[in-house]
Amino acid sequence: MAFLEVQNLTKSFGGLRANDNISFSLERHELIGLIGPNGAGKTTLFNCISGHYPITSGRILFDGEDITLLKAHEVAGRGIARTFQVYAASGDLTVEENVMVGCFMHTGSRSAARGRARKILKELKLLDLSDSMVRELPVPAQKRVSMATALGTEPKLLLLDEVAAGLNPAEIEEIMGSIRHIHDDMGVPVMLIEHVMELVMNISDRVIVLDYGEKIAEGTPQQMAKDPRVIKAYLGERYVREQKRME
Amino acid sequence: MEAVRNSLDFSDFPRIDLLIAGAVFFLFLVFPLFPHSSFAISTMIQFLMFSIYGMGWNTIGGYGGQVDLGKAQYVGIGAYTTGVMLIRWDVPFWFSMPIGMAIAVIWSFIIGYPLFRLKGHYFAIATIATSLVLKDLFTVWPFVGAARGLEISPVQFPPPDFRRLIFKDDIHYYYVILGFFFLSILYMNWFRKSRLGYQLRCIKDNEDVARSLGINVHWAKIKTYAIATAFVSMVGSFHVCYVKAIEPVDIMSLDLSILIALMAMLGGAGSLWGPIIGAGVLIPLKSYLKEWLGATAGLVGIDLILYAVIIMLVSAFEPRGIWGIVEKARRRKRR
Repeated sequence: MAFLEVQNLTKSFGGLRANDNISFSLERHELIGLIGPNGAGKTTLFNCISGHYPITSGRILFDGEDITLLKAHEVAGRGIARTFQVYAASGDLTVEENVMVGCFMHTGSRSAARGRARKILKELKLLDLSDSMVRELPVPAQKRVSMATALGTEPKLLLLDEVAAGLNPAEIEEIMGSIRHIHDDMGVPVMLIEHVMELVMNISDRVIVLDYGEKIAEGTPQQMAKDPRVIKAYLGERYVREQKRME
Repeated sequence: MEAVRNSLDFSDFPRIDLLIAGAVFFLFLVFPLFPHSSFAISTMIQFLMFSIYGMGWNTIGGYGGQVDLGKAQYVGIGAYTTGVMLIRWDVPFWFSMPIGMAIAVIWSFIIGYPLFRLKGHYFAIATIATSLVLKDLFTVWPFVGAARGLEISPVQFPPPDFRRLIFKDDIHYYYVILGFFFLSILYMNWFRKSRLGYQLRCIKDNEDVARSLGINVHWAKIKTYAIATAFVSMVGSFHVCYVKAIEPVDIMSLDLSILIALMAMLGGAGSLWGPIIGAGVLIPLKSYLKEWLGATAGLVGIDLILYAVIIMLVSAFEPRGIWGIVEKARRRKRR
């Protein structure tokens, strides 16, 4: 059985099917991209997996356990950590303290939590920001702090929701380095929602495409870039032309 | 061991804060040794009591951001437990106080469980309601004296009696409550650095983020509410021995609940010194206003007008109170 297995997941809000019969799986040490136009149900899918939304029907299995009915904090306790599209960092807490809140999941000791937080901040090259207030930081730094906070819980799977949105090319490069580091060196499988194609296509092992709540395609980044359904629903003809020109 | 170390460790405050705090606390210790009026010492006792109320409120209301306007019911539970146990069964204060805290905490779990399904204003309103309902129940319950309340008679329990906490002079009460005050500060100093303290500040800002970090938000709030309750009930027990007569309409009044919350908010919710500063400003003000103006016809209730003004000023200018202003100024200076 796969590490994460989503079977026929459906999530309805009243009459609207935000996720319609979605199935996919993720293996240990995989890095999966989740793409699709706005409103395709990507974040909803994350909310369903992380337990923030109760699902309408279907099953979610993680690490050999059925987590379908678990609440968000229980899912987090099983090892699924996530970031949020709009990161609401704690106003009263510094960067280091924010990461400590994540670390407190596995320890009650303040010094142990602080030690771990500093280690993570160092790995994500955030150590010199540790005493800043998060809300005073620029957006790219905030997004990396949110990744660090999620890593504080020592996750077995990390869900990243648009961590590269609104960044310039240099910053994208930087955050791509951080994601690679988490995946390759720390050995945490990652699933990420992203609109920045150069990031998704570069680092994903596999890409899943959603449109109107349904999974319309799945495969390697190269396959997806050529798939007519994906081009029609999301990538657009211009992307294909640009890719050809670059070749 | 780490908990004890953390409670005694104030090193993350600037030295000037610690010097001021040290000097003020020293003054508290020696103040009754000098000539003083009975008005001054009773005001000081009030101040210390309300500081502890405020510190208790600050756990759930300040760090947790859940505006609780029903703390008076736990003052009542503490006061009535100690009062009833003393009058009916002659149980000493030092036994009945922890029992009162336990009863208050159990009650807080029972009502906290449904209360924390509510959020924001709905939560605040519900806390008011529960407190008022309990007050009405006590008003018609003969076992606890119904509307007439309780009275501890000096004939039945002659002072001085440390075990029952019955004294004639305020100075004894002053040192007892001062001891509670210092212990509360140490506890709060540990609390703000505890796992729960950090988790609460995360919950206050975004509950979804808190959940994603494995925090059981509902349970964390209930736990904190129980801690706040224990503080308040402790002082309630002290209160009945100090004033020796209680009535449900006073001790469980909405005024008291609001005053407790107001004190912490004025001084600075979510900070260690905030509730103390708030009580330090408001209690003398309240006492003197009553002394000077309260007796004059037509000016009854002027303190209520004052509270209203303070609530408006705090929420309009600096939601984090006096301590928020201090911290803002400091941060500006550092830049």
